[in-house]
Amino acid sequence: MGWFGGSKAPKSDWSALSTVIKAEAKLQSLGEITPSRRAGIIYRDSDDNAFLQDIETELNTALYQGVGATKTAFEIKDDDRGMRWIVLDDGKFDDLVSSVYTVGNAITANGAGDKLLAAVFELYFTGTVEDNTYRSSLCTYWIYRYDRRAFYPFVPTGESEGDRDRPTEARLGSDLRRHGLIVEKSLTEWMGLWGIPF
Amino acid sequence: MSSTTTRKFHKDRGLVARMYFTMVMLGFLYAVFALFLLASGTPLIFIGGIVGVMLVVQYYMSDRLILMSTGAKQVSAEQEPALHRMIKTLADRYEMPMPKVAVIDTAIPNAFATGRNPKNALVAVTTGIQQRLSERELQAVIGHELAHVANRDMRVLAIANFLVTLTSFLMTMLFWNMLFGGMGGRRSNGGGGIMMVYLVTIVVYFIGQLLVLALTRYREYGADHTGAEISGDPGALADALEKISGTVAKIPDKDLRKLQTANAFLIIPAALKGQGSMNLFSTHPPLQERIKRLRELEQRMRYGLR
Repeated sequence: MGWFGGSKAPKSDWSALSTVIKAEAKLQSLGEITPSRRAGIIYRDSDDNAFLQDIETELNTALYQGVGATKTAFEIKDDDRGMRWIVLDDGKFDDLVSSVYTVGNAITANGAGDKLLAAVFELYFTGTVEDNTYRSSLCTYWIYRYDRRAFYPFVPTGESEGDRDRPTEARLGSDLRRHGLIVEKSLTEWMGLWGIPF
Repeated sequence: MSSTTTRKFHKDRGLVARMYFTMVMLGFLYAVFALFLLASGTPLIFIGGIVGVMLVVQYYMSDRLILMSTGAKQVSAEQEPALHRMIKTLADRYEMPMPKVAVIDTAIPNAFATGRNPKNALVAVTTGIQQRLSERELQAVIGHELAHVANRDMRVLAIANFLVTLTSFLMTMLFWNMLFGGMGGRRSNGGGGIMMVYLVTIVVYFIGQLLVLALTRYREYGADHTGAEISGDPGALADALEKISGTVAKIPDKDLRKLQTANAFLIIPAALKGQGSMNLFSTHPPLQERIKRLRELEQRMRYGLR
């Protein structure tokens, strides 16, 4: 933040998404979290988009072929609220983040960018350090909204809408911002995703 | 903090440096201005006298003025035993005498301190803040207010305000003087001279205002820092500020899937947009920035990084 309180919006999805790599590494080095390996991309399926109709084949091409293919494992899941998820699993966190970008980018490039809702990373605060900041074995989600190009933390406490641990989220938000993550400034935009299928 | 070892203060050196720099700049600005006014023949002593009397009254009667203007009622140890005990403990940690304690009967959560020195201090809290905050958070808020007293912020700001008030007084006077040409005849060089003095006064007023704003900001961060060092728990004040500002309550119940259409192309600069809405509660410095700094301090204390 500069003298006049302004800061620039990220130029691309990658410049925003990639900040998660640094934040995750920092928290791991502090002993606050265990290594993370799962992420999901949530989108609204569409009958008139050829790419989305053939998503499995397309993802096989995008993730397993060509130079720099990360070979991240993926799975397609439908949730009970009419949305489709691409669940990614990779033991290397930076590969996981690259794959999230690759998938989002491929969907956008094929004319379905407006169907993309969010990318969600799953992070466990397990408190390997003594006197850890958060209660032990806390499962958190870091939601990246494509329309805002920013992250925010989500800590659900139940399955129904509105069940979330707001104080922990607020606190986590400022911690993550300090660790370099691009965090959504407007708290009213921190909408939850209940019933994440992974 | 149950340990009886003496707590070593780690001053935020950069902050202290910036604060002193601002104070020196302010002093310099007004010294040059005073010389300029004397050289141009403005009746400086007359105006200075009036404003001076006003501010001396305010300075020495600030506790009574605050009590009168806010409807705060001074409370005895019998009326508010818990509050008194808390403030006594904190005052002991700051090694200052027990201040006067007052309560304001309003739901609006707030707290403030006044007094030109620790011997004449007054701490007031609203009933709203007493109800809303936990003991740990209220303790942090009062610790912050006592830090203002310990750092003698009222004195610093009283002097700074004196200079700004004086300039604004002069500005108004010169303005009317130019309109009606009151004392114009006394000096031979006429309208051009007074115009010059007026312009310089405006410039000095604005620069002075900016410096005072910077100074209040540094004093505020300073009090946050001192308060945190005294309590050893910077997170408590951050929690309190978050709670008071209603920041946390802004996090919605809504599911992201209910958003009508996610327009990937419609990029609202998220970083910029939040700015305006957050400023509702904050004055100077922004609450968000204070919370951020406190969290940083909390982290540094936790991991022992300095």
